[in-house]
Amino acid sequence: MDALVFLISGVLMTASALLVVTRKNPVYSAILLVVFFLLTSLNFLVLRSPFLAVIQVLVYGGAIMVLFVFVLMLLNLTEEELDEKVEPGRKLLAGAGSVLLFVLLAWAINSSDRIQAAGETDLTGPVKESVARAGETREIGKALFSEHILPFEFTSILIFIAIIGAIYLTKTRRADHRRTAEPAVKQPEESA
Amino acid sequence: MTLSLDLCLYLCAAVFSIGVYGVLSRQNIIVILMSLELMLNGVNLAIISFGRYFITPEGSALSGTGASSSQIFVIIVLAIAAAEAAVGLAILLAVYRRWRSTRVSDMRLLKG
Repeated sequence: MDALVFLISGVLMTASALLVVTRKNPVYSAILLVVFFLLTSLNFLVLRSPFLAVIQVLVYGGAIMVLFVFVLMLLNLTEEELDEKVEPGRKLLAGAGSVLLFVLLAWAINSSDRIQAAGETDLTGPVKESVARAGETREIGKALFSEHILPFEFTSILIFIAIIGAIYLTKTRRADHRRTAEPAVKQPEESA
Repeated sequence: MTLSLDLCLYLCAAVFSIGVYGVLSRQNIIVILMSLELMLNGVNLAIISFGRYFITPEGSALSGTGASSSQIFVIIVLAIAAAEAAVGLAILLAVYRRWRSTRVSDMRLLKG
């Protein structure tokens, strides 16, 4: 039953991921990306990670998607700007490259002794008693604040730096307005 | 019906490859950033699959906080993905303000 849920949501995940990268309008891509994140969190649940399933919905489906949709709204792109002109050759090359990458990854999975040793071990089956609660909030909290405290603190510093960087990059300065009124550097659109 | 480790990993590989296709083929930076998120999700799912495999009775031995390690990895990847999205979109806004374009082919200031 669990395996069936995983398979169905896996197929839907692949389909929605394909739609995300092929839709012309980024708003549709954003909505399909939310669907993709929800299906991923379902798969996390099947793989016994309830805490991560919740975090996936909160952080990806909530925070990151709000950021994307907000930026789409701020940019207020016109039809003309949304019209991407991608040469077919480029699309073909990208397709060939990613198919090649998938074949390589599949080959690596197929030829890895370690992964093949897992064989038909059922990932929805029974777990070892001593570590059965590994995906639950209490166990994650214990691990995060004892063994993995250093990476955790580094992550907090990184996020702090990212906040400062994001605010600095998006801040409008008075000097910028003067510059946009009289461009010092020739804009690329004009030279094209 | 059983769910084997390779099946999960094939799914992750497929999602990752689709993300790569998006990054390579699209012109719109917003969609490129979304494709990056797809790639990160594929990797997260792979880490979780391995973590799940290592707590099955047939999997290799893990004890204490070691069993939660995969979850910690994913939490940190998630935090970094959030930071990356914030900075990436901030750069996108700054670029759009300057050049009125979200196409990657218009950004060639550093092209030799």
